[in-house]
Amino acid sequence: MIEFRNVCAGYGGGDVLQGLDLRVEDKSITCIVGPNGAGKSTVLRTLSGLLSPRVGEILLDGRALHTLSAAQVLAAGVAQVPQQGGLFGGLSIRDNMLLGGYLVRRQRRELNKRIDELAEVFPIVAERALDKAADLSGGQRRIVEFARALVTEPSVILLDEPTLGLDPKTCATVFETTQQVNALGTTVLMVEQNVRFGLQLADHGVVMERGQVLISQPADVLLGRSDMASMFFGAAPTEPAVDVPGGPA
Amino acid sequence: MTLLVQTLILGLLIGGIYALMSSGFTLVFGVMKIINLAHAAMIVLAAFFTWWVWDLTGIDPLLLGVVATPVMYGFGWVLYKTVIARVHRADHELAMVASFAVAIAASGVMSLVWGTELRAATPSYFNTSLEIGSIVVPHAQLYACGGAVALLLGLYVLLRRTFIGRAIKACAENRDSAELVGINVERTMAQMFAIGAATTGFGGAALSVIYQFFPESHFVWIGRILCVVILGGLGSLAGAALGAAVLGVGETITAIYIDTQWATTVPYILIIAILVLRPQGLLGERMRADGAHA
Repeated sequence: MIEFRNVCAGYGGGDVLQGLDLRVEDKSITCIVGPNGAGKSTVLRTLSGLLSPRVGEILLDGRALHTLSAAQVLAAGVAQVPQQGGLFGGLSIRDNMLLGGYLVRRQRRELNKRIDELAEVFPIVAERALDKAADLSGGQRRIVEFARALVTEPSVILLDEPTLGLDPKTCATVFETTQQVNALGTTVLMVEQNVRFGLQLADHGVVMERGQVLISQPADVLLGRSDMASMFFGAAPTEPAVDVPGGPA
Repeated sequence: MTLLVQTLILGLLIGGIYALMSSGFTLVFGVMKIINLAHAAMIVLAAFFTWWVWDLTGIDPLLLGVVATPVMYGFGWVLYKTVIARVHRADHELAMVASFAVAIAASGVMSLVWGTELRAATPSYFNTSLEIGSIVVPHAQLYACGGAVALLLGLYVLLRRTFIGRAIKACAENRDSAELVGINVERTMAQMFAIGAATTGFGGAALSVIYQFFPESHFVWIGRILCVVILGGLGSLAGAALGAAVLGVGETITAIYIDTQWATTVPYILIIAILVLRPQGLLGERMRADGAHA
């Protein structure tokens, strides 16, 4: 389980996360939604080690992550698929996959075996192995990014706006791929602007506003709320938050 | 016709050495966006080191380039950690000013240690040549160019086939993504800068055999290096090789067909010409697409 306890973090111009409390259950798909500037992507950056919290704790199964570097967080089993442009466009798909296993680069045989296994799940990894990542379409890149994030066999995968800039058909592919990854036993924590897409995919939904959790509920319940749209424009919820904010039921 | 072939061969041999001298400069720019004006001072420092050990021990100066390469790697690492990284974090452009300060300080220290006279290493093959029919190829240029090309190939393989090379390219493209796959970006940057400095090791050794030098001759060499990388396209290793060949041949043709004095103006004429006609350099478009790619 991932836990954020009273986390405050920002970029120098003040805190974006303001005492964030959040829990993400093992093997779940949790989707964070909220208006621009709510701090959704900052949640992922603090969890993945790209940004150190000023105050508070982030725990994975009781182990502190908030003091670790990005490489150490990855070694602890948390991998992030960043927003658009996460692949290294000038490198081949094969090289991108190899870099996914940078932490285990000295175990070359095991690394190659792992990439071959992933190529069976995501055929594009083998089919376009020698092509440069820049030559792939947006959807194809997303799939390779998923595959690359799985090289180290993480227990948690973080998805930052996985459908950003994609057409509906490619969004469907991302939907399936996320389910596929979750079915392998991986916990998925995603941030998504496309609320309907994100909550249909997720088991649990979290609404954020001004760096805090406003509502945390099962995704289908959240999706059915009549006040969802108004909350995106800064209004307070008109329906009660059934569950305690910060934790799934 | 023989004279022209002779001229082209000499120009390409010199170009090979220029290519190695410029490779580190262009790679550091391609990956870190630092214009390292201390690069030529490091070449002259390596030349002094080579000349000094050769003078003391008689060991072949080009062979000493093999020793100077790791020495300059270490120098580059220390320089990056103590000066460049700190300034670069505060302000990208300021790193160029800091590197210029390092160049001036280095030439001052070299003057104190080795004096301001012209120096040159003169191994046994200094005045000998390989003769192929009517074509004469000086051994010093041939060996120096051979070593430079071997090192450039090694650099190419390092960037294309190793995890260090992949990590360097990843950092050049997207630092956040590089961190997310577990790359220590700061350490990789230090490695990149040190690799750039390492190329000055053999570059300096070649300089000590082929040219006369003194502490402040780095001002002349930084002009040549800037010409090579602007000509080829900043950040591109292949561009540096092409720019070096053009400059080497251009200088040699000018020296043989016009006048030796005019050869010194060739780098500056080429810089002006390329900036007017094709500001991105000969391979500049490719550089934008693939960063520091070999």
